[in-house]
This record gives sequence, structure tokens and C-alpha cells, in this order.
Amino acid sequence: MIRFNQVSRIYPDGTRAADSITLQIRKGEICVLLGPSGAGKSTLMGMLNGMVTPTEGTVVFEGETITRHNVKKMQQRVSMVHQQLHLVSRMSVINNVISGKLAKTPLWQTLIQAFSETDKRRACELIDEVSLEERHLYRPVSTLSGGQQQRVAIARAFMGEPEVVLADEPVAALDPNVSRSVLNNLKKASRNHNATVLCSLHQVEYAMEFADRIIALRKGKLVFDGTPSEMTDDILDQVYKGSAPNARPPVHTASPVASVALAGGYN
Amino acid sequence: MKHSETERPWKNWELQKAISPKTLLLLLLVVVLLTFSAKNTEMDKAAIETGGIALHFLGIKDSKVVNGAMNFVAEAFPFQIEDRVEIDRIDNFDPNNLPVFSRVEVVIESEYDTLTDTTEQVETRYLTHSFGYVIKAGKKMIETIEMGFWGTFISILISLPLGILASKNYTPNRFVYNVIRMQLSLHRALPEIIVALFLVLMYGFGPIPGVLALAIHTSGVLAKFFADEIENSDPGPQGALRSTGASRIKVLRIAVFPQVFPAFVAYVQYIFERNIRTATVLGIVGAGGIGMELKGRWDLFDYSHVSTVLLMIFLTVIALEGISQKIRSRTM
Repeated sequence: MIRFNQVSRIYPDGTRAADSITLQIRKGEICVLLGPSGAGKSTLMGMLNGMVTPTEGTVVFEGETITRHNVKKMQQRVSMVHQQLHLVSRMSVINNVISGKLAKTPLWQTLIQAFSETDKRRACELIDEVSLEERHLYRPVSTLSGGQQQRVAIARAFMGEPEVVLADEPVAALDPNVSRSVLNNLKKASRNHNATVLCSLHQVEYAMEFADRIIALRKGKLVFDGTPSEMTDDILDQVYKGSAPNARPPVHTASPVASVALAGGYN
Repeated sequence: MKHSETERPWKNWELQKAISPKTLLLLLLVVVLLTFSAKNTEMDKAAIETGGIALHFLGIKDSKVVNGAMNFVAEAFPFQIEDRVEIDRIDNFDPNNLPVFSRVEVVIESEYDTLTDTTEQVETRYLTHSFGYVIKAGKKMIETIEMGFWGTFISILISLPLGILASKNYTPNRFVYNVIRMQLSLHRALPEIIVALFLVLMYGFGPIPGVLALAIHTSGVLAKFFADEIENSDPGPQGALRSTGASRIKVLRIAVFPQVFPAFVAYVQYIFERNIRTATVLGIVGAGGIGMELKGRWDLFDYSHVSTVLLMIFLTVIALEGISQKIRSRTM
């Protein structure tokens, strides 16, 4: 369980990246954060792994308030998938995945890049889980396609057995078909490992298919919090109003039944 | 279009002059300075003597420069290939069991005796090896390459830790960063030949001062390069791994080294090649390698030996260039 208690993040110039947000996220929930650029999606996620410190309010994670003193420990329970991947492009797929639990691997193993058999096997399991194959194992990440690289990033995120996975626009740079399968990989992995997912997205239609719960932000304020079936065009207009014309993603038109069924299918 | 009151019609816009009095004055100053400097460095004489080369070949006037070159060329060819040793100086010489490619040569030389004021015919027997000098110079060349190798190797050992300490993002603190950066500047500022000169005083003649001089100079270059590469490496993966709580040294190993490695290898390769080239020169101050042979023969006016040595250096450098080009195209 993650609890945001009245958290705000106010920058010295007065920008309110997060404005007294109160939220509770249950374990294993897949939450999608929606909102235009600058709405505070990344700020909210950053509070969980210590990248952002709230100026007001507290973040409580499994009964423990995140402070400057325990942030290192918290970081080991939270992992992140980035839009720009942030993989080590010249390193092999398997070593990239294993680097997800770098904080827990012994130093000497890291220095000579000789990881334990257990770590390697677990990496294989995760790589298989995100639909990559044996032939990819020892290829440098830079030789893979964008979608495959994002899958490696997802596998890496689950390597450290995290309780929470943060995904910052994981499919922003991918084409629609690949995006869907990457999101499905993320969803499957989080179900398998019972991890909570906080994922920011720009595409409302993916959010509808993928999320258990949608959290919409605008200018640092919470605008909507509910299931995909509760989302309406009016709310979306409210979230994206005033944004540049093409920043407003296509309104969800696919049958809501399908997404409910999908979400329900896992619960 | 906005029109303020201060705006003038385009016909009255102020234009810049290509040549202003200021540039003319500056130009004049430069000319004066260059004139003085040229006089100091005898550039006038250089121009006259170089021009004299053309006059020499046109048969108008004898040139000192061409004569100097001719003196060397006349002596330099053919290349010295054989090497001979006086048989009297060889212990247990067995004329029936000569080494391969060897023969006994008898040379009759006239020797002048100052006491009796007579000239005597003296017979000296030499053991001549057909490829003796080539083999000797080759051994020296191999020693030179080895010097280049060890110089590079020690320089890598020095530059890896110093490079990390001299990178802004992985140095323990500002003070260490500044001290190490200064130390590296010092390494680079000391030319090898001068370092070698001092090290010859300390370690004596031979390859040791040469290797150490190479290591000192190039570690400054390699470490700075390494530090700059670490600083410029993509911060994304580093941040991603840092945010999972991994320590800096692990992040350095996993997220930085693989990024920096290929460039580092390419640079080491260049330094190795350069070190071999420099090692050929270091012998001139007594720091081992083929340069020592070159300098010794040069001082004895044995120009045919010198030309063999020069040819050997030339061929080695060309071969090296080709090999490293090939390796580079394979690794890059």
C-alpha cells in the first residue's frame, strides 16, 4: 500500500509540480497516470524512489514514511522503466537485466561481471517473460529494436524483485502495435510478481485497455481517480483543455466493455 | 513590422567597414613582430639557403645544403647488412665449425709504425656474418617495440585509477579532483626525452629510463582522456542504476565502463603506436632501444649502418600503421 498524504512539490519559482495530492494505491494495482506535459506525473512517481522530495506532505510506503534517511533502502524496493530506456547499449541483454539488482550483487561479481548462476537463471526467466528469446541473451542491447529494448528495460525493472515498478512514458517512442505488446508484457510481469505499477502514458486508449485504475492530473492537481470505465470524454476534455491542439490524444472510442473485461479478467 | 521613432530608413543604416584603421594598425604591429622573430630564428637565411638548392641543381651556384645531404647519401649506400668480428677477440674459435651464414675474411691493412717510420702490411682475420648487422638492428628494433609495449602497459595501470579520480562525476571530492588534474597536466607537460634524460641519470643507460619516461608522459594523456570520456558518458543508464540504490563503484563498472571501453581501446592503440615511434628517439639520450644504436653509429660517421637502422624504423612504423589500421577497422 502506498499513501500520498497531501503531498506538494513547489519549486522556488512558484511552479506547483504537485499540489496537495492525496492518494492510496493498493498492492498489485496497475495505475496509469494521465495528463498533459507538466501535469506532475513524473513528479508524483519520482517521490517514490527519492528522485523528488515533497516540499509538503508525506509519502508512506507499506507503513513507512519515505525520508531522506531511508530513501536508499526504499530505492531497492522500487524500480523504474524510463522512456529513454537508459540501458547500457554496449552491454549484453542478460547483463543489462541483471544490472537491475545491482544494489544487491556482491561488488567482486560486479567488477568482473561474473554474476551468480541464480541471477543468470532469474534473468533468463524474466527475458522469456517479456517474449525475448535465447538468441537475444548475449547480443548488445544496441542491436535490438526499440520495442525489444523496452522489453529488456522491463525485465531489468523486475530483476530486483521490486514491490513497485514506475514506468515513465514507457511506450512514447514506440509504434502502436509494439506499444500494446510492451504494455502487455509489463502488465503480465507485474501480475506474475505481484508488483504495483505506476505508469504514465500519453495515449488515452492504451490507458483504457491497460489500467486497473486511472489517475489524471492537471497542473499538479488531481482531476480524476477511478476505473477506466468511469472515465468520460468530458473528464478528458477537462484534463487536456488548453493544451496545444495535438497534445490532446484521441478520445477513447473503442468499446469500454472490452477494457473492463480485460481489467476484470485479471482480478 | 514595428517602426519605432529611432529606426532609420534602410538607406541610412550603418554598415561595417571590412578594413578599419584598427585592423590596419594591428596588421602593421604583426608585421613588425614577425620581422623581429624571423631575424631571431634566421628565417631569412633559411629562405636563401633553401632557394640555393634550386640554384645548385640548375648548376648556377654550389649549395651547402645539398652538399651536406650528398655527404650522407654517398656514405649511406649500400645498406650495411654484414657484421664482422675480429677472430682474435673470439674465445675458443673453431675454424672448422663456423656458425651459419658466416665466413672467415682476411683483410690486409697497411699499418703505420711511428717508432720505425715504416708502413707494415698487417693481416687481420675477421669472422663475417652475412646478415649480422640486420639481425643486430632487428634485435634492437624488437627491444624498441617492447619498450613501447611496457610504456603503454604501465601507463594504462597508472591512468585507470587516476582517470577515475580526475572525472568530475566519480571523484571523491573537489580537492582530489584538482590535485589529480594538476598532476596529469604535469605528466603531459614533461616531454619524454627530457624525462628520459633525468631517468638515465637515476637508472643508468638501458631500456628502463625509456619505458618509465614513456609511461609518465602517456599516462597523463590517457588518464585525461579516460576522465573526459567518463564525464561525457551517457548519464541516463547511470541515473537509472543509481536510483535502484546501487553504489557508485558498481555503477561506474556497469553503466560507464562498457560505454567508455571502445574509445579507450582505440586511444590505447594510438598511444602504443606513438610510444614505439617515440621509443626509437629515446635511445639518443641513452634510454635504450634502436635509437642508441642509431646515435652511436651516427657519431662514428658509420652512415651505411645509420641507413640500415633508419630503413628498419621506417618499415616498422609503416607495418605498425597498417596493423593497427586493420585492428581498428575490426573493433570499431
